[in-house]
Amino acid sequence: MVTQAPPQAPAEPSAGQVARRRWRSSRGIVGVLFALAVIAVVLAALRPTGSNEQLDPTSAKRDGTRAIAELLKQRGTPVTVARHASEAAAASTPRSMLVVSRSERLTDADIERLRSTPGDLLLLAPGRDVLAVLAPGVTSAGPSFEETSDPGCEMPFAKLAGRVKFGDSQTYDDPDEGVGCYKAAGSPRLVSLIAGNRSVTVVGSSGFLTNEHLDEEGNAALAMGMIGVPPSVIWLIPDKPAAGSGAGDKTITDMVPFGVWLFFLELVVTVLLVAAWRARRLGPVVAEALPVAVRSAETVEGRARLYRAARARDRASDALRSGARERIVPLLGLPRGSAQDPASMHEIVAAVAVRTGREEAYVGAALYGPEPADDAGLIALTDVLDDLERQVRQS
Amino acid sequence: MALTGRLGLLALLGALVPLLVPSWWTLLALWGVLLLGVVADLALAGNVRALRFHRTGDTSVRLGQSATVTLTVENLGRRRLKARLRDVWPPSAGATPRTARVDVPAGERRRVEMSLTPTRRGDRRAITVVVRSVGPLGLAARQLSRPAPWTVRALPAFPSRRHLPAKLARLRELTGAHVALIRGQGTEFDSLREYVDGDDVRSIDWRATARRGDVVVRTWRPERDRRIYLVLDTGRTSAGRVGDIPRLDCSMDAALLLGALASRAGDRVDLLAYDRRVRTRVEGASRTDLLPAMVHAMAPLEPELLECDAAGMVSTLMARVRQRCLVVLLTDLNTAAIEEGLLPLLPQLTARHLVMIAAVADPRLGEMAAGRGDLAAVYDAAAAERARADRRRLTAELRAHGVEVVDAPPDEIAPALADAYLALKAAGRL
Repeated sequence: MVTQAPPQAPAEPSAGQVARRRWRSSRGIVGVLFALAVIAVVLAALRPTGSNEQLDPTSAKRDGTRAIAELLKQRGTPVTVARHASEAAAASTPRSMLVVSRSERLTDADIERLRSTPGDLLLLAPGRDVLAVLAPGVTSAGPSFEETSDPGCEMPFAKLAGRVKFGDSQTYDDPDEGVGCYKAAGSPRLVSLIAGNRSVTVVGSSGFLTNEHLDEEGNAALAMGMIGVPPSVIWLIPDKPAAGSGAGDKTITDMVPFGVWLFFLELVVTVLLVAAWRARRLGPVVAEALPVAVRSAETVEGRARLYRAARARDRASDALRSGARERIVPLLGLPRGSAQDPASMHEIVAAVAVRTGREEAYVGAALYGPEPADDAGLIALTDVLDDLERQVRQS
Repeated sequence: MALTGRLGLLALLGALVPLLVPSWWTLLALWGVLLLGVVADLALAGNVRALRFHRTGDTSVRLGQSATVTLTVENLGRRRLKARLRDVWPPSAGATPRTARVDVPAGERRRVEMSLTPTRRGDRRAITVVVRSVGPLGLAARQLSRPAPWTVRALPAFPSRRHLPAKLARLRELTGAHVALIRGQGTEFDSLREYVDGDDVRSIDWRATARRGDVVVRTWRPERDRRIYLVLDTGRTSAGRVGDIPRLDCSMDAALLLGALASRAGDRVDLLAYDRRVRTRVEGASRTDLLPAMVHAMAPLEPELLECDAAGMVSTLMARVRQRCLVVLLTDLNTAAIEEGLLPLLPQLTARHLVMIAAVADPRLGEMAAGRGDLAAVYDAAAAERARADRRRLTAELRAHGVEVVDAPPDEIAPALADAYLALKAAGRL
């Protein structure tokens, strides 16, 4: 029987190589996950941090507006806080001043309701739809990041207030009617106009009214000036519209165009078609019974591990010694059977001692001695036996 | 029927259409177009049902070599057929190419050559032939799977046949011209002939000399027409791998060399493979048929994972062979298996036959026994010494029963067994 040279077993890869290989195979996924994490962190950081109490005249927090409300009260102007547009509309009188904050929470119906109120309006950073209804003719002209601004107009309260620190703010196109103040790059931040029979003031920033910023530059003066001295101030800060109240009950699915639905339906069909394409194979999968692969020496290896687990130095040393005797005895010219025969112990020891020039006690201890005391002794015994065998062979 | 990737691609591109024209009708029209394309393709694709398959080619191949099997595709339909064809074989048949393109005009035949290089011994059956014919638009295909049975038998590689010339030369030394010169090479009386200078005077036949008035010597020749019974043990011990080859394959190789040699030497060779029942049997094959018969009988044999039933084996042997023969048992010198199974039955067997046990030794034992240095290696060495001692003891015990034991590593077992046979023959012990 010709045995092919056993195929070279691939060298066991080191831990470093394994780690490198795993890194190579997974770095794409790790990179994508890392990028996703970075994007998530950035998005979270960019999220607007407005709280529920922002611009709330009852809130004493940094972003509340209790300071301005208190100032107005000290001056003798009562401030009514309206939490809904209908409340504000009900409280509104022809001479009152309605401050509209957080106008993004107003529904279309709310805005319509506000349009029919009689009093003056102060719109704080209004949205596009609010502008269109309540301040016709005013259009937004992009944001400005200049912190402070000078009045640059003839409005008396603006001239009185002087320099104001708006922070980030919206600007508006210079209106055809009305007055624009606090311009940045030609576009005013504050527009005052007459709409119908009332005065409407639009200001592109609400931050300068907050408790935190009210004391800076001429902020407070501008605020007081814009509100003026009406008999009453109604501060509208709408609650979030409840679900089903008209606006906001459009879910995202209502807003998806019909064509996109059909697109996704067609994609589903495509996936099914591709699945059908890939699932149909050219011929069956062939299963085959494989032969068992049992190494012939497996039982011997198992016995070796059992010896080691049980620290069976006695069995191991016996086996090693008898194996060595088995090889030495024919070299001495003694009958083969005497290797395992205790009776011929002295004969063998003497013969080996003569051949190797070692002492009989040494040879006897090596070939017939007691079990080694420890593992080092067992390893040493193999060396001694190998030595004796080699010396007998060479003598 | 099968769909193609092109259909999926078209459907994907078509998904853009409802974005432009958002309407149910657009989508339905799109699906209608795709469906129409599929139906047209299925209608216009080559008719795979009208195909007939025929096979010719090799039915057996020696392991490690390649067989060629030709698949003839006959198109009985009225249209030309262009298709992709896959001849499905088990993985160990090593069939290439995996798929082939065929283009068969109506009423004609085309051949597809398959090359099979089996990786394991045994029968490899063709499973089926699958044909896929894609329509002109490339959207859908007709597919059909139809069996086209064929079996290729992978025969044992018999690598030890390279030892055969040397062993035959030795055999010729025993039987050939040298017989006249060297007395005692054979034990069977052959003929008488005149004395020539150099002949051993002890071989002079005085009775014939007296009759003829001339000095006549007897010539001898080795015995012929002896019976040799090869017994393969296919039980669990034959499954163990020595190196990377199952012990059974090594035993087969040795059996083949011995069979080839003995049949040339004029002996009758029979084969039996046994574990708990008769796996295969070759009996009464003529000299020229023996080797092919043995090889074919051995090809599908696989080791069975059960204990060999020695009693059954011995009784089968005793029942089948009445006259004295050489029983060569190819097994493993496994202490437990032999001592409990075969040893008690040996006297029965040796009383009538000459028994020889050939066992494949594992070189790994030698490697382990030479292990030194650390504790694990030393315990390995101790276990290996213990195993070798067991094997020696068993060998001695078997020899005490008058059994010849041949114990050699896998690359030497076949020549060693042949040598043992030649030695027996030379000694006239058959």
